[in-house]
Amino acid sequence: MTDKPHSAANPWTRAAIIYVVLALGVFAFPGGFVSWLDDRNASGWLTAPLALAQAIDKVSAAVGVKGIGQALRKRFATFAGEDEG
Amino acid sequence: MLFPTIEFGLFFSVSLAIVWALNSYNDLKKLVLLALSLAFYASWNWRFLLLLLASAGVSYVVGLYVERERPFRRAVLAAGVAIDLGILGYFKYLDFFIAQAMTLADTLGLHLPLNFVNVTLPVAISFLTFHAISYIVDVYRGRLKASRSPVDILLYISFFPHLVAGPIVRAHEFLPQLASPRRAGDFSFGENMLLILGGLFKKMVIANYLAVRLVDPVFTDPSQFSRLDLIVAIYAYAAQIYADFSAYTDIAIGVAALLGYRFPQNFNQPYRALGIGDFWRRWHMTLSNWLRDYLYISLGGNRHGAWRTARNLMLTMLLGGLWHGANWTFLIWGGMHGAALIVDHAWRRSATFARVGSRPWVKVIDWAITLQFVCLAWLFFRAPSLDAVGTYLSGVLTDNGAESTIVPIVPVLIACAAVTQALPPDFRARLGRRLDNRGPWAQGAFAFVTLYLILVMAPTAAAPFIYFQF
Repeated sequence: MTDKPHSAANPWTRAAIIYVVLALGVFAFPGGFVSWLDDRNASGWLTAPLALAQAIDKVSAAVGVKGIGQALRKRFATFAGEDEG
Repeated sequence: MLFPTIEFGLFFSVSLAIVWALNSYNDLKKLVLLALSLAFYASWNWRFLLLLLASAGVSYVVGLYVERERPFRRAVLAAGVAIDLGILGYFKYLDFFIAQAMTLADTLGLHLPLNFVNVTLPVAISFLTFHAISYIVDVYRGRLKASRSPVDILLYISFFPHLVAGPIVRAHEFLPQLASPRRAGDFSFGENMLLILGGLFKKMVIANYLAVRLVDPVFTDPSQFSRLDLIVAIYAYAAQIYADFSAYTDIAIGVAALLGYRFPQNFNQPYRALGIGDFWRRWHMTLSNWLRDYLYISLGGNRHGAWRTARNLMLTMLLGGLWHGANWTFLIWGGMHGAALIVDHAWRRSATFARVGSRPWVKVIDWAITLQFVCLAWLFFRAPSLDAVGTYLSGVLTDNGAESTIVPIVPVLIACAAVTQALPPDFRARLGRRLDNRGPWAQGAFAFVTLYLILVMAPTAAAPFIYFQF
């Protein structure tokens, strides 16, 4: 690891980059996050985040981002010999 | 809560914000980091927190006692090490030794009234034992002052990035870092982002695909696979275990650095090794160094002639093998490496090596033999039993009359693993520096595109981290 000074030396800039990247990851592939919340919502305490994730899922699908991700995954899975359905 | 999971993503996001918000309040930051680490460990089973607390408590008390000359100082150290090893032995090896004793008794026509203890193996018990022993022995040897802070000791042993599968961080490397708050600028953001993203790629794409597409099915029932499948699966496993384990430690190093803590490197192009000694200086380096410093040197190292050196090498590797699990396969794997180290040690001290060792063709042969040996030894490491090894090798000889099931992605991924492990050590640092010199938008765009590609390529099924079980 290096000790050189660099542009994103502010920890909050770094944290913001990480949060934005993770949020974009959820927007690009919302299905996994919705399923993950749904699996853990038996007692109903995740209803609000689940509703938010489902809304993100709908927006992602409406603007075509989710579809692109699914199509690319399917194409790569076919290349890899995996039957993703 | 393993690294490439949504749980860990959320956990880390929260930890990152809290740790930097408290950076000016170092004592409070350490307490919060400790609470986060204990919560991380409790996410598997909260009852094992008691084990962690006991291990840290013993380390704290023994460390304070053995720091200076006192009566029975050596005995107290021995008792501390014995407690740590006793906990490890009880959870990890007791059933194995009971089974061996009962088998031996049966062979001798005796009846041993023994029962298996059937306890759940606590997560990370091997790694936390290594950390605990490292601390008290280093204090005893005068390499480190005993910490007066029980929080520091508990945080050293339980710090969540290294807790489950290393790297093994020495107390003298970590405790001084707790003394004062760190600055984000002490660490390259670009390099650590590359470590984490590279780790995710190695684990989620290379290791998972190799596991689900070839290695796991072949090792589950080798009798159903062709000779080609069986041979390729050995090399695929060599690629998988490198991608899997180096991914875990790369992510651990990157996560720790983003929180402001430095961990040592754990892999350095291991499959480029020229000789088994060189391999162990490149593979799981923190374990190799630990075994060298606390076992091999304690046994006498190379100070008492060739035979004692050979004995010490063999004992170290046998125990290193057994550390991986209570199974004869690990013991044989360790024994193979021990024997190879003895031969390697003798070869490198021979007159012939002094004459021809630097010639390119000798290096090529050295590399080829080392690689083939390491891959063959992985067969024993991966197989669930010695019977399974027999079935596997018999299939290699007879072909089992099966069709090959290898899909094109397998050789592509083996090649990817070969390329990632062959990248020069400063490659990531140079690329990281270039990223550091770009603005946050470019860094974010790079990270997102890389993450997107990983999520596109990751298979639906995932294999657990290999070293998680150790």
